[in-house]
Amino acid sequence: MNFELSSEQRLIQESIARFVQDNYPLDARQKLAAGKLGFSETHWSTMAELGWLALPFDAEDGGFGGNQIDTMVLMEQFGKGLVLEPYLASIVMGGGAVKRGSAALRTEILPGVIDGSRQLALAYAEPQSRFDLHDVVTNARSDGADYVLNGHKSMVLHGGSAHQVVVSARTSGGQADTGGISLFLVDMDAEGIKRDGFPTVDGLRAAEITLKDVRVPASRVIGTIDQGYPILTAVANDAILALAAEAIGAMEVLYKDTVAYTQERVQFDHPLADFQVLQHRMVDMFMEYEQCKSLLYRATLEVAQGTSPTAQRTVHALKHLVGRSGIFIGENAVQLHGGMGMTEELRIGHYFKRMLVIESQFGNTDYHLQRFAA
Amino acid sequence: MDIELSASDLSFREEVRQFFRDNAYKPGEDYAKWRLDWFAKAAAKGGWDVPKWPKEFGGPGWSPTQHYIWEQETARATLPWDMPFGVGMVAPIIMGYGNKAQQERFLPDIRARKVNWCQGYSEPGAGSDLASLKTKAVLSADGTHYVVNGQKIWTTAAHIADWMFCLTRTDDSGRKQDGITFLLFPMKQPGIEVKPIITLGGAHSVNSVFITDVKVPVENRIGEEGKGWTYAKGLLQHERTGLAGISRSLVALEGLKANAASVPRGNGTLLDDPDFRAKVAALEIDLLAAEFTELRSLASAQAGAAPGPESSILKLKGTEIQQRIQKLTVEAAGLYAAAWGASQPGPKFARGGMSGYLASRAYTIYGGASEVQKDVIAKNVLGIKRSQA
Ligand SMILES: Cc1cc2nc3c(=O)[nH]c(=O)nc-3n(C[C@H](O)[C@H](O)[C@H](O)COP(=O)(O)OP(=O)(O)OC[C@H]3O[C@@H](n4cnc5c(N)ncnc54)[C@H](O)[C@@H]3O)c2cc1C
Repeated sequence: MNFELSSEQRLIQESIARFVQDNYPLDARQKLAAGKLGFSETHWSTMAELGWLALPFDAEDGGFGGNQIDTMVLMEQFGKGLVLEPYLASIVMGGGAVKRGSAALRTEILPGVIDGSRQLALAYAEPQSRFDLHDVVTNARSDGADYVLNGHKSMVLHGGSAHQVVVSARTSGGQADTGGISLFLVDMDAEGIKRDGFPTVDGLRAAEITLKDVRVPASRVIGTIDQGYPILTAVANDAILALAAEAIGAMEVLYKDTVAYTQERVQFDHPLADFQVLQHRMVDMFMEYEQCKSLLYRATLEVAQGTSPTAQRTVHALKHLVGRSGIFIGENAVQLHGGMGMTEELRIGHYFKRMLVIESQFGNTDYHLQRFAA
Repeated sequence: MDIELSASDLSFREEVRQFFRDNAYKPGEDYAKWRLDWFAKAAAKGGWDVPKWPKEFGGPGWSPTQHYIWEQETARATLPWDMPFGVGMVAPIIMGYGNKAQQERFLPDIRARKVNWCQGYSEPGAGSDLASLKTKAVLSADGTHYVVNGQKIWTTAAHIADWMFCLTRTDDSGRKQDGITFLLFPMKQPGIEVKPIITLGGAHSVNSVFITDVKVPVENRIGEEGKGWTYAKGLLQHERTGLAGISRSLVALEGLKANAASVPRGNGTLLDDPDFRAKVAALEIDLLAAEFTELRSLASAQAGAAPGPESSILKLKGTEIQQRIQKLTVEAAGLYAAAWGASQPGPKFARGGMSGYLASRAYTIYGGASEVQKDVIAKNVLGIKRSQA
């Protein structure tokens, strides 16, 4: 047993922490979020140059050969600055699907992903699917050397700016069958694609994507036809680990800012932190944060190890706890800041909003509790 | 004890419903005109425009049951837009502590909704500890007016208000609760600068108000100099019970159920999901209890007693219930709850759900933050004496 980071991981951690410190004060972030793209292309290039985009890819694909532990280190630091660049969407989700595909596809696609010139996204949700990855109505039928896709994908993270999107579509079976789902890498400039991009409440971007008779060559199928679901769940697990790490970075900011604020703010001739009820509340926030961190390590190590029979269950546990604790910490950070917590001026509110979105991504608190209990 | 409505209560309820039906807004109508007409017609019914005002000031003099019926019906009907600051907040203070001239001068316009008011209490350094406020009012040598200087914060609707009722400090030599003076002054005058504060949902409702050398004639002082705290405290009590919003929550709960029932899950809807259903049920149980807590409070107020212990918990329970309804609405919207900006994909309630939830976080902050409210209950209701501050 060893919870220490390797010296390489520590170096990456420090370099990301510095990047966040230098580039992500709240006003700079909000300016980027309000811009056309919603993030900085310069930052994205920097991330490529520093090798961060290569982190979770195999060396033979031009990657750094890292695993979920390396992504965790990175995402936790990103969480502290609410980083806007599409790392999760392009590297963990889109890239995460492609890297589980054929060698030919990896050779074609991944170099551009790693050098940042090609941005990917993952379209897994549909208007009716709620959190079930296997509830897929979008369909693909084979037509010569192509597949023809029709359907509606919803809330696609960074789907508005991605060049290519991994789309789950039904090639056989009933609406909620886990079998019969296939993954396609779809060019966003293909004929029949309609994208409606919009901001989300946390300052990120998402898109509704409709596909009307979109032709996708069979070479762009990820994995095997009808057997996309195991890839999809593996990618979802990686994404949950990454989101949880980001959430934990954000939780740290929320509870620490609250501890600092209550020691400065004076009411009734005392710093707020003198009041025991607030002390206890902050201790609760801190405990939730630590518990989440423990479960993050547990789930990340189990998944990274690759053979743990309980890994899936631990991922459910993690997503549940992070959702529950993230909202508890966020709501109380706002409450303990009083009126100031309700403003857009302090960072608290923005971290809280990110918590709310993380809570619903890839299944909310209740959903994962049900999965865990099942 | 009896839970049945009497025949006269039932006919009162029908009369209220009829009034709402007869005077409902018709699409296309001039809204501002409809609004003022509505209040005028409600006034003609005998104080229906100011249900909570005492009879001698034109209120209807209803029984607790009638108030309860009114609350229930108004929660369901679409009433004209109204703000609490005039009719609900400053008016009771003017009635209780203002002189005859002030009552004649201010109450008719408040009642007719001709003048918008804002509440200038909180300051950057005086939130929960309101009595530590510092906005200074200095009486002129000839005793005709005060000169006011200071800063207010979180002032809801200051940007659309015509008048402010303002707590100022006229004396800082003694206890901080002493030396506070209650002044009224117009907002649209030199020396008053209003700056917007944007809150989490992106809305502009609160403001900072900077007050520089504003002259306020002594005729605009309510009651005695230095006694403002006593007057304001009475009002805060009033404000708090109003913030519980139990009837509105009962209607909002129905809305939540309808929204959840519109979200497909498997062969049924989200409302059939046992876990979601159980959370809605637990909320409903708290609401059933809170509804009767409110009724008990209304009844004891009517009997002339000081608000009973049950009223002290209404604000706490009521706001917590409102927040839970908002939270479950966000949950019901699923992934779509995150959608923001102009395009609104997903179910109709998703976008409003998120902004409603964010706004609801303030319910446990304003009108007495929950932690401080609990301190007050511990001290005043449970009678707990602490050996230190
Ligand atoms: C949306 C909104 C609208 C508002 N509208 C108005 C308005 O129209 N007019 C107006 O005058 N004001 C208004 N307010 C201000 C409101 O009344 C104050 O925010 C409130 O009194 C709390 O003060 P504060 O924000 O300074 O928080 P603080 O007093 O700094 O409190 C911060 C936290 O510390 C806790 N705390 C404070 N003291 C204690 C204690 N002794 N023991 C334990 N915990 C404690 C509080 O519960 C809170 O959680 C509004 C506020 C909001 C958010």
